[in-house]
Amino acid sequence: MGKELLEDMEEFEEDTQKDKYLTFKVDEESYGIGIGIVTEIIGIQPITQVPELPEYIRGIINLRGKIIPVMDVRMRFKRPIREYSDRTCVIVIEVRDMSVGLIVDSVSDVLNIPEEEVVPPPEIQRNSNKYVNAIGKVGKSIVLLLDCNRLLKDEDYLMMKELENKEE
Amino acid sequence: MKTVLVVDDAAFMRLSIKNMLQGTDYQVVAEAENGKEAIEKYLEHKPDIVTMDITMPVMTGIEAVRELVKKDPNAKVIMLSAMGQEQMVKDAILSGARSFIVKPFKQEILLKTFSQFI
Amino acid sequence: MSEMFSNTSMLEMYIFETTQLIGQLENMMLEVEKKNSYDEGCVNEIFRLMHTIKGSSSMMLFNSIAHLAHSIEDLFYFIREQKPLTIDNSTLCDLVLEGIDFIKVELEKIKNGSEPDADADYLINRIKEFLLFIKGGTPNLKEIIRPEKNKKQQYYIAPDVKQETEEVNYFFANIKFQKGCEMENIRAYTVINNLKDISEELINFPEDIIEDEKAEYIRENGFDIYIKSKSSKEDILDLINKTIFLENLTFKEIEEKEAKEIFRKPEKIILEKEIKIPKLESTDEKAEEKQSTPNHVAQNVISVSVTKLDQLMDLVGEMVIAEAMVTQNPDLKDLELENFHKSARQLRKITNELQDIVMSIRMVPLSTTFLKMHRIVRDISKKQGKEVELQLIGEETEVDKNIIEHIGDPLMHLIRNAVDHGIEDGDIRETKGKNKAGKIILEAKNAGSDVLIIIKDDGKGLNRDKLIEKGLEKNLINKPIEELTDKEVYNLIFHPGFSTKENVTEFSGRGVGMDVVVKNLEAIGGSIHVDSIEDKGTTITLKIPLTLAIIDGMNVRVGEARYTIPLMNVRESFRPVKEQLISDPDGNEMIMLRGNCYPIYRLHEFYDVKTNIKNPMEGILVMVDQTEKSSCILVDELLGQQPVVVKALPNFIKNTKNIKGIGGCTLLGDGSISLILDVNGIEYGE
Repeated sequence: MGKELLEDMEEFEEDTQKDKYLTFKVDEESYGIGIGIVTEIIGIQPITQVPELPEYIRGIINLRGKIIPVMDVRMRFKRPIREYSDRTCVIVIEVRDMSVGLIVDSVSDVLNIPEEEVVPPPEIQRNSNKYVNAIGKVGKSIVLLLDCNRLLKDEDYLMMKELENKEE
Repeated sequence: MKTVLVVDDAAFMRLSIKNMLQGTDYQVVAEAENGKEAIEKYLEHKPDIVTMDITMPVMTGIEAVRELVKKDPNAKVIMLSAMGQEQMVKDAILSGARSFIVKPFKQEILLKTFSQFI
Repeated sequence: MSEMFSNTSMLEMYIFETTQLIGQLENMMLEVEKKNSYDEGCVNEIFRLMHTIKGSSSMMLFNSIAHLAHSIEDLFYFIREQKPLTIDNSTLCDLVLEGIDFIKVELEKIKNGSEPDADADYLINRIKEFLLFIKGGTPNLKEIIRPEKNKKQQYYIAPDVKQETEEVNYFFANIKFQKGCEMENIRAYTVINNLKDISEELINFPEDIIEDEKAEYIRENGFDIYIKSKSSKEDILDLINKTIFLENLTFKEIEEKEAKEIFRKPEKIILEKEIKIPKLESTDEKAEEKQSTPNHVAQNVISVSVTKLDQLMDLVGEMVIAEAMVTQNPDLKDLELENFHKSARQLRKITNELQDIVMSIRMVPLSTTFLKMHRIVRDISKKQGKEVELQLIGEETEVDKNIIEHIGDPLMHLIRNAVDHGIEDGDIRETKGKNKAGKIILEAKNAGSDVLIIIKDDGKGLNRDKLIEKGLEKNLINKPIEELTDKEVYNLIFHPGFSTKENVTEFSGRGVGMDVVVKNLEAIGGSIHVDSIEDKGTTITLKIPLTLAIIDGMNVRVGEARYTIPLMNVRESFRPVKEQLISDPDGNEMIMLRGNCYPIYRLHEFYDVKTNIKNPMEGILVMVDQTEKSSCILVDELLGQQPVVVKALPNFIKNTKNIKGIGGCTLLGDGSISLILDVNGIEYGE
């Protein structure tokens, strides 16, 4: 499924990539990330655990010789973990020179959400909202557009670490 | 596309010139590090024009120009000299070099000089 | 592709080349200083090097460097031409070395992306003064006589003057150059020369236009040419307009009648078919003979960008893994594939060979690093008034490029120490019956998969009692003094903060040096060892691995996880028996082996890995050497030894947390990932 999606993506011209988002589901909610940062979509693979990392960073995988860290998006949103099935996908994104794989329940379509249909997020501070920097309207449904920089950087965690260090 | 042979013992200078000619009608087809090599490369590639540094080991620019012009009276050699090398430039011109450029120089001068001959 | 020609690569090339040239120059100066004489080839080479540096620096607009190089170039030009009989060699060397240092510092700034903004004026002035001094002091100072030239070309006539049957035109041109373009006489000459191709006859004014004296006139008034040509006005105008630095052009056609007057001067016509070449300075010929100075880079060597090399290394590393994944693929297990295996073996052979060659490309001889030591020895010994000789052995020994970068600083520190603290003053040495001049031997040699670097001096050696005294002071000694072996005493010097007061000089610092040396070495998986005999000397031995990228690893399993322990850290591995296992009151587990006690670290606990093997007697203990002690690591089973390609942990993980005890990862033959242990990180607390 992921492969077909990629092929579709390749047909799009560069300058139209701006408004295109890859959407995926976590539980019942749809999330989207800008197509520009997605390098590939693969099925779930054996993960090698790396100790002492936050729980949502599940470990590293071998992608044709390249070692990529993977993050479970559900856990990142502080939802209870679900077992991985063969629908589970890993979306590999590249942000600021780092490659990271996002583990999601399933991948949906690539949607075109023009600027007019994008509005700022509501003020409610639910756990997942920290990473949502805009809301996209698609017909009757909404897609929560993610800020991948914040997704990858855990300020809480870093702050915690600093506190720990100070106490030592 | 006109062809150029760049002769200078400093790799940096050769790269500078190549850089300057990037995207122009002049293409560097060969490089040489000293006069002797310059003559070999010239005979091999028969470039339209040659840039030649004056001070080089093994065979100086002046000797090289003389030899080159002997072998091909139509050879177009442009001497590259530093400030204060008037005497050597003179010798080079009298030996058959067509013109000279004083370092440091900008791309404009190089191209303008080339356009005089090819 | 266009990146190749971006400004960054120009800068890189400039830095690379200039660094090389400065290195060559420095070595040459040190030789000259030692021999206390200059041979012509040397002088010429120094001149040429400075000339090149001047050229490229001015192209890059690094003006201080360019001006400094120019002043040194002038100095050596004089020495080359005049060959003065006596020069104050010491001052000359100092000046040039100072110049080299200045350029080195500026180059560092450039490398770091800052502006090379230092002022060299003070140094340049001193150099100029020195030049004046030796000029004044040179007897028989003669004007440098320019060789006579046999050029007599005022008028040019095309070699084959035939009857004019075609239309001929006459023109007049006055050409003036832009102010400040210099060498107007030569420029004028080239203009005239170039008009020859399309002219029948040319007359120029002033005559003898290439002579230097004419330059002034041409600058003020321009120069005149009368042209007789079959070409059209447009063509000639076109050509003249291409003149570089053209300021002003007066151009007109002239009447045939008028022209005939001007061109009718038969007695002054001189036909020159062959131009006699002026006799060039003999030094050029000498330079021809002395083609390759020892520091000249061999002609069949090219420079390659390190990034490309790294990419190549990575790819080859991945190819090795991919090859293993194919030939050791679980799908093929239990299948009888005679032909396949034969081909697979061949493939493996080729892959290994390829890997060997790529690895060897990254290998660089230690000589560049070693040669730098000469300068250091020279500087300190001169300053302290000691005579010290540095002998290099085995500098052609090669190590991985990555490692070379980490060797430089530690080595410098150790050599400094040897000269500063090791070698005694000349008089003291004589009273001890030694040679007045101290000797330091810097040697490199291969030892299996390591390289040994030995620094041996014949100085005063380490004083056991003084060291013990200091050790007690700093509470570093936890054994009865009598039981301390010499080795343990000497190794005290590697402790941070350890330094007897006399050790602190401007060169060697406050004991900050030694432990930094040790840290630097450990960072590349190396180790250090010292031995000494009082009054006879000290020998320091560094052991460094040949390469970082591939290490011999011991693969182990804990539960479902795989780890690789660098073989160089592994002492032994075994299954313990009950009698050896003990625990202390705090519950720390330990093992007694041959009278020694070692802590046990359970890897499954350390990294919270699920496993069924909780009892050491069911698992394997791997004894590893850490910096200051040895410990035993409990794993489920050993999977075997193999060379592994070290891959760094992904940036994302490195940015998130610095994981203790993990130094990277590698891919095993079946495609799974194994974490490489950094044994020094395996410990509790701290």
